[in-house]
Amino acid sequence: MGQKAMIQDNTRCIGCRACMVACKEWNDLPADDTQFFAGAGYQNPRDLDENNYTIITFTENVEHREWVFGRDLCMHCAEPACASACPTGALKKNQETGSVDLTDWRCIGCRYCMQACPFVIPKFNYDSVIPKIHKCTFCADRIEADLTPACAQVCPTHAISFGERNEMLAEAERRIAAAPGHYVPHIYGKEEVGGTNVFHLSAVPFERLGYPTGLPKEPLPDLTDKSLRFVPRIFVSLVALFSFLAWIIRRRMRWHGTLEER
Amino acid sequence: MASRSVLLAILAVGVVYMIIRFAFGIGSIANINNAYPWGWWVGFGVLSFIAFGATGFTLALIVDILGIQRYYPLLRPAIVMGLLFYQGYVVVLMIELGRPWMGWLIFFSWSPTSALFEVAWCATLYTICLVVEVGRVVTKHYGWQALWRALGWIYLPAVIIGVSLSHIHQASLGTLLTIVPQKVDVRWWSELLPPLFLISAYAAGLAMITIEHVLATHLMRLRPRLDLLAGLARWQVAILSIYLVLRVADVVYRGVVDEILQLSWLSVSLWVEVLVGFLVPLVLFSLPEVRASRWGLFTAACLVAGGVLLNRLNVAVVSMRVEHWETYFPSLGEIMTTLGVVAGGILVYGWAVRNLPIHSEPPLDAAPGTSAGAAQAAQASA
Repeated sequence: MGQKAMIQDNTRCIGCRACMVACKEWNDLPADDTQFFAGAGYQNPRDLDENNYTIITFTENVEHREWVFGRDLCMHCAEPACASACPTGALKKNQETGSVDLTDWRCIGCRYCMQACPFVIPKFNYDSVIPKIHKCTFCADRIEADLTPACAQVCPTHAISFGERNEMLAEAERRIAAAPGHYVPHIYGKEEVGGTNVFHLSAVPFERLGYPTGLPKEPLPDLTDKSLRFVPRIFVSLVALFSFLAWIIRRRMRWHGTLEER
Repeated sequence: MASRSVLLAILAVGVVYMIIRFAFGIGSIANINNAYPWGWWVGFGVLSFIAFGATGFTLALIVDILGIQRYYPLLRPAIVMGLLFYQGYVVVLMIELGRPWMGWLIFFSWSPTSALFEVAWCATLYTICLVVEVGRVVTKHYGWQALWRALGWIYLPAVIIGVSLSHIHQASLGTLLTIVPQKVDVRWWSELLPPLFLISAYAAGLAMITIEHVLATHLMRLRPRLDLLAGLARWQVAILSIYLVLRVADVVYRGVVDEILQLSWLSVSLWVEVLVGFLVPLVLFSLPEVRASRWGLFTAACLVAGGVLLNRLNVAVVSMRVEHWETYFPSLGEIMTTLGVVAGGILVYGWAVRNLPIHSEPPLDAAPGTSAGAAQAAQASA
């Protein structure tokens, strides 16, 4: 059994937000007292936070006078920037299931994962005295019990599909090939930052849905690895260099009687 | 003293904000949010404090490793300031971390892929090295012979390891934000951020020593060692030149010259940083008239310190552009907590200078060449 993945087919979404409710129920998240706000997007609540691990985004497609939907949730990257950034190993990629798991008690609240995440997914409860990082779990506990994630389970229009990663990728490609005019020819998450375990499909370009676009194709951890991999070698070399310099210079100074002992 | 009252007042305001933060959470005093999780605290309190803390390793490198012993009079102020900057950064980190009481977990984890993990380890180990270096001064002053001798045994290894650790963590602070090329503006994001951070840390360290020396000798009416400061100024010319060449080459190589020439707030911030903070002091330090003048050296050093500070703020705060509805501007609480830490650091340093043999320059009114009376001058100014 390989890694799992999800398809978020935004063309099938009707904006009923059953996924948001199911997510709250399964993860035991409290209800919100929400308010209407002015600005881009009309979803409610406005954004992910400590009580909302997924939201359906509402955007007005002005040309066609219709709503287009998108969904925010953790993309469960193949090589997650958040996990590579986490200094305590609180975030880890689960190679069995494909989920990026958060171990709550290991979180020290440094928020480097939030900074590193290209999809702006991890959230932090700034108003709490005992805050921590909150994000979508991929319902890892359900996957282990051979269940599908809560959001996929309840979606009434099959906008959310869940299964083996290879099969999901093939299915996404099949859908685009079968209805080329219906979808934009792009599987969001196939190549973004080295690939993810959530694939989004859409009828309108993804930047119109407010998805971060123009992301590099290489995994982001590679960028820091380029310098960090040399750290041990550089450290050992520097210690050797400075020891040698201190030794040879002191030897000469002692020889010339100019070394001042302090 | 009026200046001490001002510092105490700033410290008090900072402490009040810190109490509010721990009673009601970070959100009660800070503007950092879910799209901009780092801000002033990281840019000012972590990146800049550690850059200014380079005083300790630059002077230890010059005096104890390269054996250029004439700079010894600057070494003690340098390591004491270095230790205080590193303590200051820890205080800011305790405010900034969501769960500071779990911070120790970093030292019981293995996350070599995290730049923050590397910085935390190296900065902590380096602080231990600084404690050994400062401990030599303290134990000698209070006559704790056994401890002084024990520290003497490990002094040179501590210096060598400390200087090596400093090089790698000063550079790794630049690595921190290379992971988000889509969030840091192209004017600053570069794979060369680590070496650029290291080189500018040298400049910041030497600038801070110059500022401290001019101010301390002025306030305590001691004879400033302009010959040493002029020597550091020559080093600065080399460091700033290498830095600017690398910076320009990087911009040209990455092909972002057009963006930099475009008129925008980001470009203005970059130009102020590079021209006022690095190029102008480079020119000043290379003029013999400036190198002979105490306040000339002071001005140039202040420009470098300001340039490095603006560079860190530019990289961590100004250049951040997250495609999101939230925006960020530092709050009064964020700024006052860090200024409180700065004020507290100055007060502690003032105490240290008056009570420990940190400055041994002769007083201004003593005949040149006599070293007697330095202690009296220190007492008098207290």
